[in-house]
Amino acid sequence: MIGVLKSLKTTLSVALRPPVTVQYPEVHRPVPERERAFPLLLWDAETVEPFCTGCQACERACPVDCMTVTMRDNPKYKTGESKRRKIVDTFWIDYGRCMRCNICVEVCNFDAIAMNNTWSGHELSAYDREELVMDLDELLAKSKAGEVTRWVAPS
Amino acid sequence: MSEMELEEREFETVTMDINMGPQHPSTHGVFRMILAVDGELVVDVEPVIGYMHRGGEKLSENLDYRQGIGIQDRTDYLGNFNCEHCYVMAAEKLAGITPPERAEYIRVICAELNRVASHLMFMGAYGTDVGLFGTSFTYGFREREQIQRFFEELTGERIMYNYFRVGGVAWEVQNGFEEKCRRLVRKVREGIKDIDGLLTKNEVFIARTRDVGVITPEKAIAYGMSGPMLRATGVPWDLRKNEPYSIYDRFEFDVPVGTNGDCYDRYLVRLEEMYQSLRIVEQALDQMPKSGPIMPEKMPRMLRIPPSECYMRTENPRGEYGIYLISKGGNHPYRLKMRSPSFCNLMALKEMLIGEYVADAVIILGSMDIVLCEVDR
Amino acid sequence: MGYVLLGTIFNVPNRWLDAIIRLVIIVILVTVNTLALTYIERKVIARIQARLGPTRTGPAGLLQPVADALKLLTKEDLRPRLADRWAFELAPFLVFVPVFLAFIALPFAHDWGIRFLDLGLFYIIAVLAVNIVGWLMAGWSSDNKYALLGGVRAVAQMISYEIPLVVAVLCVTMVTGTLDLRAIIESQNAWPLILYQPFPAFLFIIAMLAELNRQPFDIPVAESEVVGGVTIEYSGIRWSFFQLAEYSALFVLSLLFSALFLGGYAWPGALHAFDLGWLPAWIPQLILTFIKTSVIIIAMMWFRGTFPRLRIDQLMSLAWKVLIPLAFVQLFADGWVLVYRPFGWGLILGVISAVLLGIMAWALGTRFQQLSQRPAREERVEYVRQLMAGRSS
Repeated sequence: MIGVLKSLKTTLSVALRPPVTVQYPEVHRPVPERERAFPLLLWDAETVEPFCTGCQACERACPVDCMTVTMRDNPKYKTGESKRRKIVDTFWIDYGRCMRCNICVEVCNFDAIAMNNTWSGHELSAYDREELVMDLDELLAKSKAGEVTRWVAPS
Repeated sequence: MSEMELEEREFETVTMDINMGPQHPSTHGVFRMILAVDGELVVDVEPVIGYMHRGGEKLSENLDYRQGIGIQDRTDYLGNFNCEHCYVMAAEKLAGITPPERAEYIRVICAELNRVASHLMFMGAYGTDVGLFGTSFTYGFREREQIQRFFEELTGERIMYNYFRVGGVAWEVQNGFEEKCRRLVRKVREGIKDIDGLLTKNEVFIARTRDVGVITPEKAIAYGMSGPMLRATGVPWDLRKNEPYSIYDRFEFDVPVGTNGDCYDRYLVRLEEMYQSLRIVEQALDQMPKSGPIMPEKMPRMLRIPPSECYMRTENPRGEYGIYLISKGGNHPYRLKMRSPSFCNLMALKEMLIGEYVADAVIILGSMDIVLCEVDR
Repeated sequence: MGYVLLGTIFNVPNRWLDAIIRLVIIVILVTVNTLALTYIERKVIARIQARLGPTRTGPAGLLQPVADALKLLTKEDLRPRLADRWAFELAPFLVFVPVFLAFIALPFAHDWGIRFLDLGLFYIIAVLAVNIVGWLMAGWSSDNKYALLGGVRAVAQMISYEIPLVVAVLCVTMVTGTLDLRAIIESQNAWPLILYQPFPAFLFIIAMLAELNRQPFDIPVAESEVVGGVTIEYSGIRWSFFQLAEYSALFVLSLLFSALFLGGYAWPGALHAFDLGWLPAWIPQLILTFIKTSVIIIAMMWFRGTFPRLRIDQLMSLAWKVLIPLAFVQLFADGWVLVYRPFGWGLILGVISAVLLGIMAWALGTRFQQLSQRPAREERVEYVRQLMAGRSS
């Protein structure tokens, strides 16, 4: 008998404490700095072009083959505005395949790709799977707007 | 017919087939059990698995030693760090790499906290199986949420961490790691008391789980069981003590062993294991070097392992998780076999279930704490 | 709502119109009660589970039961082709109508009740026993072996637990000497009956949980873990009749408990409304009734969130091996004390009852394992082996 009385006391004590629910759409719990949502490309505001040169290092390193990258000659190199000989031409990431493993960020030589560490990286629901394939403009949008900071792993 | 003839006529009973289909309320994954039932007794059981098979072993053959860690995460999604640990140690054994001290300590802390989280999930789901209306589920998840938030600050992900690397861990821990971890250990210890108070001494719970699903130690060893299932029968076999891997020989902890081999003992073993894991985490925090490298200095960019093979095993929350790694040179395994504890434990289902009542089938299945992704890989 | 109110406001001369108005009042009461209880149950259980309950439909989720009712009303009314048509369609009514009838004899205040019967207690217990037939009809007539299993088990459980319920009520009747609910309540003006008879109170609570099919006795409705429950073939409004019956019966039995053991509207001394001239007597009485009933209802919900489910053989063993023998011992003890009336017979009654409560607590605490009726595991495995050998040979 004592056992059930102890169970009753436990549930009563929990009932009298405040609940732990976070009311999600109204309240967004702050995410930590290292939060790893989906990858984004970073925008270099000084030279007004992406950091990415289209070297395909991330495409080769991706375990699930979710990226497609092509490169072209950088017109700004000829005019001397930028030091990058090549620049990315097209870049597609299929968010439906990405498993957010962070390997693309680790292998990038130019610090051009980063994981979205804001809530917008998690609120990406779409009605059609094709809407989850992001092209270059969509990938650069957040960084152009200045909303994303790259978390650099301390080595 | 006369009275005598009516009495002498034997009742012909037919066994009824009950299908606990791939979707059923006790959420243990997509697992199908076909029970043949005679009245209330279970006469035969046929488990049907394979609904979650994703070809993890085949996929690992095409992924190098950094990409393959993601597959390990997803094999046992409740004990991720322990699976990653096994894979990474297998590759290190073949390549002859020793991870630095600080990385080892971080690995142990992560693995033990993951064990606590996995057992909390068991507590939650088990209470629901026994018939509680979901109370233990929320208690377990409340504590698990704290552990997941801690890991989110460390790695960025709440469940598919992808943090261990061959040679160490991927990046340095966050600021205030030590005090946050100590606070987490304190809070989780307090929170486990809720589940303890709710279930352990509850007479109704004991009545439902005592002497249910008994298996003898000899049969358990014969079926190849491991982990809490084996320890609950009385066999004191824990890979962290009997064959210490990584730095587990530096910690002082007890291995809880049951006496009866029934479901209640398995519950008690897992409950005590949680407390012991928290003890290991505290000792690791005390012993951890305050600064140091987390990867060896001369790590090649693309790891290539000479042709060799090895079998590495670790103590998963569910039992003995093993990786048999065959490498033929090159940067990805030639063959990666995962020995999953849930698959081997599941083989004893027929043994435990025949002769029990139908109402106990769910309880016995719940006490085995299987993870279908591990069973089917 | 009672004589007085109807007499002064409506003054209805026609007996049939009077009866119809009273029945309409019951219907409204039952509906409001069910809606309120579904909401309160979800909120209480949510708090026990450290979460919020319904919060989105309406302010603080208050329109949730309305949403549930609308959903159930708009569902398709299915009937299996091979199901026995009349039994299938009448079974929900047979489950629900007796509870509806039980509302007639309940006293809410001294003058507030639909009809005050001299045999009120007897009437309520008798009528509530009829809904067992409804469960059996529902289980049998659905063309489903799982529903049949669930129905038969429900009936076994409910019939077994009728006996402790009736014995507890008999003890109360013997002590107060009457079956009239108002007289029972008013005889507790000084001391509630639970002080004299704690053991029958406890019996009543356990039997109440079993009659309502709530945790820890909810094998019939939670069979859906392994086997389907009795309501498996019902959908929409027919299914909601079972829910209505459960929540209305919860209200009826809670009110009955507070009337029999806690003093209803009369204790502590509200019968004369604290002798204040300006306060009509029915206000404190209604408040007391409401408070006591609410406490019992919330306690039942608290039990729901805390107890696991008992297996069917453990449940039956509990009834037949522990509760019924002790209940009869209590009955005889009561009878003996009340016939011979030794000095301080009230205290003696209370002491005997408390001792029996202690014995039951000891039995449940230490001997619960032995209650179970099944044979040892070796015998069962042997039986299975022989069965399979005989089958295959």
